[in-house]
Amino acid sequence: MTDAEVLECLARGRKGDERAILELFHYMYPHVAKLVQANLPARESAEDLVQQVCVKVMSHLDQFSGKVPFLHWVSRIAVNTCLNQIRHEKRRPEVRLADLSEDEATVVEHLASSPDELDASEQVASKELVDKLLATLRPDDRLLMRLMYLEGRHIEEISSLTGWNKSLIKIRSFRARAQLRLRYNLLMKENP
Amino acid sequence: MNPLDDQLNRLFRAAAQVKPSAVSAPAYGLETRALASWRTARSSDEGIWDITLLVRGLLLASLIMAVSFWPVLSSAESTTTTSNPFADYLQLTDSTVPSDDAP
Repeated sequence: MTDAEVLECLARGRKGDERAILELFHYMYPHVAKLVQANLPARESAEDLVQQVCVKVMSHLDQFSGKVPFLHWVSRIAVNTCLNQIRHEKRRPEVRLADLSEDEATVVEHLASSPDELDASEQVASKELVDKLLATLRPDDRLLMRLMYLEGRHIEEISSLTGWNKSLIKIRSFRARAQLRLRYNLLMKENP
Repeated sequence: MNPLDDQLNRLFRAAAQVKPSAVSAPAYGLETRALASWRTARSSDEGIWDITLLVRGLLLASLIMAVSFWPVLSSAESTTTTSNPFADYLQLTDSTVPSDDAP
């Protein structure tokens, strides 16, 4: 869909045209689904959250000013919706070596014993271990670490996605990284 | 660099290599559910708009009534002020009260 087509669809959608709303739904769906999948809170259905984000976007088309591309605006809504859902999670589990799978424990051992990069075969276990470590952080910190280190986004991008200013992002990332180091250190201490 | 930071960096680099699962078409029924929720949200918005309109209409009607009755009310008030209670009292004392005992 070109920018002009999106704007035309938005205009019709604002007037209540259901076909335009459906076209917008199909246009934004892959983008929203990807963001939700990456930032999905535990015990939350991705489908429900995608639906929630899409309905929020479709019901507030009047609030889209057009200053940023439509998908940027959608991303911001998706990220904030995920963040609000994560904030509802009261419990932040601890990571213990005993709770790790065999593959994850191998990754920990490899990291401690060798300075080499991890093998391709260890990538999935690494991702699972990172997810477990991130789950111990506060929701905002978790989101920031994910955007920064897993998705490789720049501070400017994170700022436009979350609405946080750059100084806040720097402070938060420093604090989150320190927390993550602490959790990882505890895990390492358990490693014989 | 702190060895822990180095290990964490390597861990993140490996984890970032994992490609997210490809996004397929919306699940069956998701489109219908989203559209239904949009319709509900839209109708409730319109409901709120109707109530706001009603309240505004009532306020406007009250204002028009107040403005149109103002001359009548003010003239009634001025009539009441000309016949003040003291004047009424004097009028009463000046008047002769007819009595049955009078010759």
